[in-house]
Amino acid sequence: MAVNTVLRTVKQAVWLGWKVDTNWADPLVFAIYYMVRPLAGLLMAGFMFYVGSTVVDVFSGEHFAFLLIGNSFFIYIVQIVMSMSMLIHDDRAHYEVLKHIYLSPSSLTWYILGRALNGVVNASLSLLLTLGFGVLIFQGILGLPIPINWLGIDLPMLALTMLLGTLCFVSLGYVLSGINIMTSRVQFMLSEYVSSILYLFGGVIFTPELLPSWGQTISNALPVTYFLKSVRFSILHQTGGDFQTSLMLLSLTTLVTVGISVGVFRFAMHKARKDGLIDKKEEY
Amino acid sequence: MLDDLVRNLRVAYARLWVRVKGGNREPEWLIFDMFLPIFTLSAYVYLYKMLGVGAEFAGFVVIGGTMLAFWTNVLWNMSAQFYWEKETGTLEAYLVAPISRMAILLGMALGGFVNTTLRAVAILTVGSLIFQVPIALNEPFTALLIFFLTIAALYSLGMLFASLFLLYGREAWHTASLLQEPVQFISGSFYPVRYLPTLLQLLASLVPLTFGLDGIRRTAISGEGIAQVWPHVIALIVFTLILLPLAKLALNFMENLGKKEGRLTLRWQ
Repeated sequence: MAVNTVLRTVKQAVWLGWKVDTNWADPLVFAIYYMVRPLAGLLMAGFMFYVGSTVVDVFSGEHFAFLLIGNSFFIYIVQIVMSMSMLIHDDRAHYEVLKHIYLSPSSLTWYILGRALNGVVNASLSLLLTLGFGVLIFQGILGLPIPINWLGIDLPMLALTMLLGTLCFVSLGYVLSGINIMTSRVQFMLSEYVSSILYLFGGVIFTPELLPSWGQTISNALPVTYFLKSVRFSILHQTGGDFQTSLMLLSLTTLVTVGISVGVFRFAMHKARKDGLIDKKEEY
Repeated sequence: MLDDLVRNLRVAYARLWVRVKGGNREPEWLIFDMFLPIFTLSAYVYLYKMLGVGAEFAGFVVIGGTMLAFWTNVLWNMSAQFYWEKETGTLEAYLVAPISRMAILLGMALGGFVNTTLRAVAILTVGSLIFQVPIALNEPFTALLIFFLTIAALYSLGMLFASLFLLYGREAWHTASLLQEPVQFISGSFYPVRYLPTLLQLLASLVPLTFGLDGIRRTAISGEGIAQVWPHVIALIVFTLILLPLAKLALNFMENLGKKEGRLTLRWQ
């Protein structure tokens, strides 16, 4: 496919995704909507930490910063994966446009990439707002000491981590899209299922060392673990791990995820064409 | 009068049957819904372990997770149901039939309750066993009373929200979505709400789930009885008495407005 066609497809898909996501509300309401849910998730985890610390009468600022960064960046992951997972249902069964996109000269793969990039933009916006308001509430209003030097963030390291992480989570989104193309039975809950597993084993709000050995093995196989480690290293400069090793393992697990996503998505498209699933409308 | 009552009871039963049958038609749903919430709950339990708090906090998490299954059901399978009906074209059939909308909602609520109870019992049992939750249930009937009152108040709230979905599409959808985590946070799903700042405690008192969660925890984990939790009982009764008639009024109002504006059968909003 010509590069121009690919670029145009991606651009139009980003634009379409943005319109679908935002045109039900004015920009302020949209921004509030995109902030409130993740912020509430962060506040819930933060208050659990606060309550637990109050009960034992020991507050560890380092641990709190660990949780704050982990939970905020996990929301970024969830939003990308969730937007891609729901896309197939929305376009196939709800708006009934998937068949038209499939018939067009562009490719469904690039269209999904465009929609995913829109999800990345929204997730980034949400991440910044959540992190900003989270710090404002916990540090500014509740007066909790959060040892983060915002001016000392290693931006190149963070940018590299985000780039690799985004590639990895978009790939994961393709896997979920592929599954949802093949079956409608789990379309509403699939991303929730995946995110709940990643939340437990990815070292989001507690250190994976607390898990039993089999849990740690799962944790060590997940890109989320290395993504969050690298993000924490860039922001908190925590010495719990070596950044280079973490980044290398993130690259490796990302590569594996990309490989799996290519395989699953190609198989899904082949099966969809063979079994007539492209326009199969099911109400699950 | 009696004919009407019998007909509407049959409507409620029919809607209950569809809901129970539909909600359990795929065995993998049942398995996923029963066991996957344990992953998120486990993460919270590990957080408390990391902080070194007592085992009763694992109990708070398990009970919170169990009750949240009902809250999720109220939001997505009760409030949002008219949205689905509108999208699939069955809402018109309900509206032209000589039946009460409240009977349909009652059937949805009862069916949702049956489905969610199956899942909630699994979450409670598995969670309690895995995390060895210390149970101190001195007055089981009080705990059950609070549980059923919480369910009544929550589903009444769901009926009230359902009226919004008669008229609105994505706006109502996003509103329901917006109520998921904030209510979890403010109702103290995973911690006692008394630790929240005063302003948030005031806000929390507007949510029936807050009283239900706190009451059940006190009776099931702290070993308290009716002498301590009677204010919770009163609060939950008041919620139901206010929300149920309000739901009926809102439903009538929204239906009439929807007819005037021609939005009752509008799809893809």
